Amino acid sequence: MIAETGFFLLLFSFAAAVYSALASLVGARRAHGEKLIVSGRNAAYLTTALVTASLGMLLAGLLRQDYQIAYVWSVTNPDMNAFYRLTALWGSQAGSLLFWSFLMSLFAAISIAFAWRRFHALVPYAITVMMVTVAFFVGLSVFLENPFERWWLAGGTGDVMRSVLMPAGAFAPDSLNLQGSAQGLNPMLRHWAMAIHPPLLYLGFVGFIIPFAYAVGALASGNLSTDWIKATRRFTLVAWMFLSLGLLLGGRWAYDVLGWGGYWGWDPVENAAFLPWLAGTALLHSTTIQEKRGMLKTWNLSLVVLTFSAVIFGTFATRSGLVESVHSFARSEIGFPMFVFWFGLTLVAVLLIIWRRGRGELRAEHEFQGLLSRESLFVLNNVVFVALFIAVFWGSFGAPILSELVMNTNITLGADYFMRVTPPLFAALYILMGVAPLSGWGVTSLRRLGRAALIPLVLTLASLGLFALAGMSTALSYVAYFVVLLAGWVAIVETARGIAARRRAHKENVVTSAWQLFGRNPRRYGGYMIHLGMTVIGIGVIGSTLFQVETQRTLQPGQTLELGGYTMRYDGLLANQVAEDGRLMDIAQVAVLRDGRELANLRPRRDFYPQSEGTNSMTIAGSHSTLENDFYVLLVNWEPINANQATFKVYINPLINWIWTGGLILIAGTFLAAYPKDVVSERARQSVALAKPGQLARKGA
Amino acid sequence: MSQAAWTKGSDPVPQTRKSIKPEQIKFIVAGLVILTAVVFLIISGTASGAQYFLTVDELLSDPSYAGKPIRISGAVDGETIVYDGANLIIDFEIANIPTETTDLALTLHQAVNDPTASRLRVHVENEVKPDLLQHEAQAILTGTLGPDGVFTATEVLLKCPSRYGEAVPEQAGA
Repeated sequence: MIAETGFFLLLFSFAAAVYSALASLVGARRAHGEKLIVSGRNAAYLTTALVTASLGMLLAGLLRQDYQIAYVWSVTNPDMNAFYRLTALWGSQAGSLLFWSFLMSLFAAISIAFAWRRFHALVPYAITVMMVTVAFFVGLSVFLENPFERWWLAGGTGDVMRSVLMPAGAFAPDSLNLQGSAQGLNPMLRHWAMAIHPPLLYLGFVGFIIPFAYAVGALASGNLSTDWIKATRRFTLVAWMFLSLGLLLGGRWAYDVLGWGGYWGWDPVENAAFLPWLAGTALLHSTTIQEKRGMLKTWNLSLVVLTFSAVIFGTFATRSGLVESVHSFARSEIGFPMFVFWFGLTLVAVLLIIWRRGRGELRAEHEFQGLLSRESLFVLNNVVFVALFIAVFWGSFGAPILSELVMNTNITLGADYFMRVTPPLFAALYILMGVAPLSGWGVTSLRRLGRAALIPLVLTLASLGLFALAGMSTALSYVAYFVVLLAGWVAIVETARGIAARRRAHKENVVTSAWQLFGRNPRRYGGYMIHLGMTVIGIGVIGSTLFQVETQRTLQPGQTLELGGYTMRYDGLLANQVAEDGRLMDIAQVAVLRDGRELANLRPRRDFYPQSEGTNSMTIAGSHSTLENDFYVLLVNWEPINANQATFKVYINPLINWIWTGGLILIAGTFLAAYPKDVVSERARQSVALAKPGQLARKGA
Repeated sequence: MSQAAWTKGSDPVPQTRKSIKPEQIKFIVAGLVILTAVVFLIISGTASGAQYFLTVDELLSDPSYAGKPIRISGAVDGETIVYDGANLIIDFEIANIPTETTDLALTLHQAVNDPTASRLRVHVENEVKPDLLQHEAQAILTGTLGPDGVFTATEVLLKCPSRYGEAVPEQAGA
């Protein structure tokens, strides 16, 4: 029953989404179409409810262990606990597509409820775009990647078949047999970070479709004010945060599970998720310019299209087998429809932009004045982000595809390419992150900028002194840390200045004035906090990239190895331990010592999943984590005959935990920046924004 | 509602001057400098990072590839894997994958079991044997072909298709 119910709910949601898209569009184009518009909105809400219910059915199938459903059979087995059963929802293609549709419809419903009254002109067109998207993804589930198909055996021949409804003359296979042969979730995906990495990534992806929908709404309705930005800013911000966390957690999973001591490999699929992040980060910055100065209207609309395109392209590239990647799902049938969908929506949006621009409706209200003005620096920031976008796209997709088409050979660009091209661009971004907050709107002189930068510069040099004391020696690392630290210190000093100024003016204590200041300028100080988070992440990335050390050694129990001031002692091995989910574990026991003092006992191990086909063994690192570094140990080999001897690979990854810490600061900053201040008093916020250039002038004087 | 907005948006915006002012020249110069730098970065990066992505047949049929940075894809023959765990040296053979179909698992299976398929010996040093290095996995290797006909790989990526493929419960009918 579960499978049929789930499938029909999905079928109805497809119909509801199609109706909603059409009714909204027709209603918006008609002189008295309000009734149709309301009907379209209600159908959108209904779509959300139906998709949610359908997802609930699949979830019920997973939790109730209904192995007759092919999807359930392929991603779970009786040994798995309820948590991994839940995460199996996005463990494979068909489930993750349905989950994608669910998140998309949920975001659509929330954005409609939020924008319905305030931005009414945009909503019908936005609903059309969002529901076309939902209908497309639900359609993929209904027609190509159906998660509700069940196993059947043909009456005469006993051939195995898959379909939702029972084929004529077929019978259901024996439940116990199915249960016994069920495959279980890929062992590599049984990790806390992998359990939440896909949903976070999807939340990010899906969230970026909302600004696209409302931007198309603006273009189609002719309301080309900043309404589309206001209606979606918070969605963009939250999407950005989820995408950032999704990327970080993907790295964390790779670091914990893949056992190569790294977290980012410039693999095409990683890059496919990184591209929308780059475009989306540029978008978050440049829409501010339009809100404050009425500039960059065409640019912002183009950027929103680029972000959306990157999301759909990323989903398409990941799932279509377009490029060789360790990540790619099986080559599947959804590649071509996805390409058509992406191309169609992008084309419509681009044509709308060209049309509105041709009518002169996207002209800027101000002109650029000084090279060092804040708007110029923001534009520069955008240029660098787009350059990074192009560089990463070229390296992952452009060069391989073009060489295939034009030269009939396949040329790929490895990590060398990315390690040469991206660091200077990242450095440029950190420099801008350090300089832009110090500049003002309009014209800013170099001298004023220099004065404002004095304190952060001194603090940066002082921190570099600490690095020197710690023994850092290469020139490159000093340059890298200089730009990264400066950005962070500027964020801290600017925040401290704001608090101090408010304390003087209002005679408040530090906590009250910080609270008041953040509450009045959530976007500004949330932004600074995010900048600080990026600095902390940068500290970790540079440290772990430039200063990683590694060694490998075969040890007898009691023997030790030395690395980077640490001593590791091998104490013995526990072979063939059985875990509660049925896997077998060989666990090495090692102690980590420094200056003769025992810091930690680690248990690097090898897991073996006897029931899984394909990937059935995993190397799980043991690591001793501090802010200073990770002492990361892999048990790479041991001989069952000679259990006394084991081989280890050991890494020291300096400052790597700053990366994850930076992620937490990023979350806090995003929540602050998304604090719903402008709903409460739009006018107060605008007056604060107008006062900013003056404040800066005073600061500089 | 939407109609009102439609007419509001189409109000003509006052025309601005089109000629380039001296003010704007510095923006144009700055833009050109950035563009040049980015183009240079991408071109030099491409020159240093480019690798031919070949099949085993393509590599073996053209001697000019020897010594060049190559990426190669092949099907792993599990029986040939020799792993020296104490010194972290891996040796194995990959078979040519003719044309890829939508069923990667089947393609790999046929490649490994085709006695006429060309094969390449692979040598990897200082690498832990990856968990995914097993029979009928797809290996994507980066490295160079030596004069002895052995491919020395510096990077090993592996893909096991069985997980996401169209697996069918074999015992179902039993």
